[in-house]
Amino acid sequence: MSRSLSRQAGYGLSVLSFLLGLVLWELMVGWFDVPSFLFPAPSAIFEVYFTADVDWLRHTLATLRTALTGFTIGVVFGFALAVVITLSHVLSRMIMPYVVALQVLPKVAIAPILYIMLGFTNTSRVILIVILTFFPIVINVSTGLATVDRNLVHLLQSLGAGRFSVFYKVRLPNSLPYFFDGLRIAVSGALVGAIVAEFVSSSEGLGFLILNSQYTFNTTAAFGAFVILTALGLALYGSVVFLGWRVMPWNERA
Amino acid sequence: MAGDAVERARMSQPDVVTMTGIGKRYSTAKGDDVTALTDVSLSVRDQETLAIVGPSGCGKSTLLRLIAGVDHQTEGTIQRDSPDGGFVVGYIFQESSLMPWRSVYDNVRLPLEVVGRSDPEAIDELIRMVGMQDFEKAYPIELSGGMQRRVSLARAFVHKPSIVLMDEPFTGVDEFTKEGLQHELSRMIRELGATAMLVTHDIEEAVFLSDRVLIMSPRPGRILAEVVVELPKERDPSMRSSIKFFDAAREVRERVLEIHQVGQADPAV
Ligand SMILES: Nc1ncnc2c1ncn2[C@@H]1O[C@H](COP(=O)(O)OP(=O)(O)OP(=O)(O)O)[C@@H](O)[C@H]1O
Ligand SMILES: [Mg+2]
Repeated sequence: MSRSLSRQAGYGLSVLSFLLGLVLWELMVGWFDVPSFLFPAPSAIFEVYFTADVDWLRHTLATLRTALTGFTIGVVFGFALAVVITLSHVLSRMIMPYVVALQVLPKVAIAPILYIMLGFTNTSRVILIVILTFFPIVINVSTGLATVDRNLVHLLQSLGAGRFSVFYKVRLPNSLPYFFDGLRIAVSGALVGAIVAEFVSSSEGLGFLILNSQYTFNTTAAFGAFVILTALGLALYGSVVFLGWRVMPWNERA
Repeated sequence: MAGDAVERARMSQPDVVTMTGIGKRYSTAKGDDVTALTDVSLSVRDQETLAIVGPSGCGKSTLLRLIAGVDHQTEGTIQRDSPDGGFVVGYIFQESSLMPWRSVYDNVRLPLEVVGRSDPEAIDELIRMVGMQDFEKAYPIELSGGMQRRVSLARAFVHKPSIVLMDEPFTGVDEFTKEGLQHELSRMIRELGATAMLVTHDIEEAVFLSDRVLIMSPRPGRILAEVVVELPKERDPSMRSSIKFFDAAREVRERVLEIHQVGQADPAV
């Protein structure tokens, strides 16, 4: 940017641009008489929440529940594995090849096969999300636990501190910003995982709703689901960022 | 005279650190050995500040790590003594190396916490000494570089260490701030009656802060010369333009130059 805007003016401009986009969208759809099954107007999407025979709350909560359950388990396991890798050189050497190999595999690819292994259950859906959220946490947290200021380690060691003390006083707090970076990736991954899992098999959730809208040519309902997904994504991501600020007031804000 | 009596009492104290025939070899990732130090013998007397100057890579940081006991020599012995029993070091690094997640107060408290002591008076005194009393609750990110250095000075002295190890403490600090910090550091050493060892490649810094300067050769590091600084114990910035300061700095510089020329004449180096 050649000229910088004040903070308020910047936000104002963003809101204005967004509203303008909505208005243009509405007008274009009207002008060119685009059928709603091709591209519904914003007003039609707004209406669909009241007219369609859909239990929006139930589907939203189903997706949210799956996403958050998988996310929580993935984060806990990811963190635990990162700690184990950091504390034991032997285990690190044994486990890392698997982590690296699996890391590059697009995890959603395994979704159809998970159902063969574990059946068409909610467990299969949660497992997919666990796998998706687990990796960014392991990678980020183990990096944060390892890339510490060596001077601080020497300082503690010179005063007689042992490995546990160095871990607890230096490595763990040092890993927090990395952990929150991982959480931001994981929370987006959790939603992706929930939708993919519901695409493959489910009887409720926003993914199910989108797939069902495809069968019935109810594009407007699918757009309704997109809007809710976007809001969910923003809310979850925002919560992580906000929590990060609260937990780490000492950290530079990205 | 009283001064002599004090001097005699001091001389009868055992040296705080005595290194005899110290050698240090590292084996590198490629499998070959790097000799960082060979046959280093030196001692740091009680309440003395000893400076060591030498070119980059000659093993200065290694020397301090050996004294601190976070690394071990491959040859020779190190004797560590403390008038009041337990030997502990204070450490000042090339960077401030504060914990970003701790406030100024908690950063200064760290060494006490690690050795399992509680001494709020010492924390308050040190924070006041470096003029950070209005910033006790601030996080390092909220401080200027110079302020962060001052906090790291306070942290190095708070637990009354047997010796304070200083590894190029003001590298990367602008000249203006640097001279102020050096004066502050010399004042702290004197007022707290501390023993200190400074490694640096800044000759003026070495002369201003120390009682004796040892000159090291390029790697593998050896002690090649000693210059005694004939300045009063109490240092102040005006001494930087005194004849004695100038003489000491020149003598160190000449010795460094000699060593450098010897190095150039010797094709093996
Ligand atoms: N952990 C290590 N493993 C292998 N080699 C090392 C290690 N630490 C230091 N060395 C080598 O030992 C030599 C001395 O290193 P040291 O860091 O003590 O030098 P220095 O005098 O402090 O240098 P500088 O002024 O650049 O800080 C260097 O050649 C370095 O490559
Ligand atoms: Mg060094």
